[in-house]
Amino acid sequence: MAEVLRRVLSLGSSAESEEENTAEAGPPLLLLGGPGSGKTALLFAAALEAAGEGRGPVLFLTRRPLQSLPRARGATLDPLRLQKIRFQYPPSTHELLQLLCSAHEARGPTPSLVLLDGLEEYLVEDWGPQEAAYLAALLLDTAAHFSHQIGPGQGCGLIVALQIREEGDSGDALQLSLLQRYFPAQCWLQVDAPGPRQRCLRACLDPGGLGPRAEWWVAFRPDGEMTITPWPAQAGNPSSDKGSSSEDQP
Amino acid sequence: MAFALPGVTLPAVVEELLSEMAAAVQENARIPDEHLSSLKFIFGSSAIQALDLVDRQSITLISSPSGRRVYQVLGSSGKTYTCLASCHYCSCPAFAFSVLRKSDSLLCKHLLAVYLSQVMRTCRQLKVSDKQLTDILLVKKKQEAQKV
Repeated sequence: MAEVLRRVLSLGSSAESEEENTAEAGPPLLLLGGPGSGKTALLFAAALEAAGEGRGPVLFLTRRPLQSLPRARGATLDPLRLQKIRFQYPPSTHELLQLLCSAHEARGPTPSLVLLDGLEEYLVEDWGPQEAAYLAALLLDTAAHFSHQIGPGQGCGLIVALQIREEGDSGDALQLSLLQRYFPAQCWLQVDAPGPRQRCLRACLDPGGLGPRAEWWVAFRPDGEMTITPWPAQAGNPSSDKGSSSEDQP
Repeated sequence: MAFALPGVTLPAVVEELLSEMAAAVQENARIPDEHLSSLKFIFGSSAIQALDLVDRQSITLISSPSGRRVYQVLGSSGKTYTCLASCHYCSCPAFAFSVLRKSDSLLCKHLLAVYLSQVMRTCRQLKVSDKQLTDILLVKKKQEAQKV
């Protein structure tokens, strides 16, 4: 699912990649970062991006409602796109499992992208590897079922955000390596030189063997606005963010 | 493996072996000996046990009108294990230990049996309602919870 995220990160800088905007879902992607590293903002940007593709709705799973809508860039926060994002808030691990196990019973248009924010909140502490693997496998199975419903050529993507601690213990490492089995594509967010006026992060995208790694600077201004510049170009250049690409749909 | 998500499949060498076996089965209705020895070379004793499960028709493909599918394998101990059709997951203890925790196996014998039964087209089929399929996917979880 690296393609949607790559498009989010590349907006405004690589118009030539429009041709590659195929609907191929690609491998499931794990979005990793510490607390406050902008995972939710990126996930939401990916939801908006996918909602503008003229395909099915986007299913956004998170334990609690977003406190505020992350500031979208340019014209992308249009109501038509927002309407296509279906938020669901499973309050517990059991509710999330129930939702995934019964996803095939749901009526209505089939989602083209499934997003889960805060996987760590659903990984119960006394769980062994098998339970964590089952949750990851069920997420994949749900996306695979949606892909099957959509039909060949166009799959349903899956992006899951997981908060990681800066100094993980061995239990965390085991859990992470287990999850990485199920999510071949990964995107790491690392805080890079916290500045007084804006937070800077480095986003490193590994599309899971389907292409080269790529890196970006992601900066959040105090008002929450996100600017993205390709690495190693310098961040903090607002003129590079003229990415209003809402007219690129056929 | 038409159901699998890209990137969450078997190593290429295993995929290749399974598709060669599928082609051979279509042509001759049996698996050539050299494929069986490759299988044994890659998976060790699990290969024999998996073939045994296939012979005994222990694999059931459960599907519902929605198109969602799940496999159940009746193990040699009489317990039934759930294997997801889209990615590597089996509810058996060997999968938890050897595959997930130790990473010294690629698969457990049940998952291998599922792949072999796909190749040999010998799995039993069971149609259930959408609701029943939900229960099958969830029941596994309840059993786990009681066990802990």
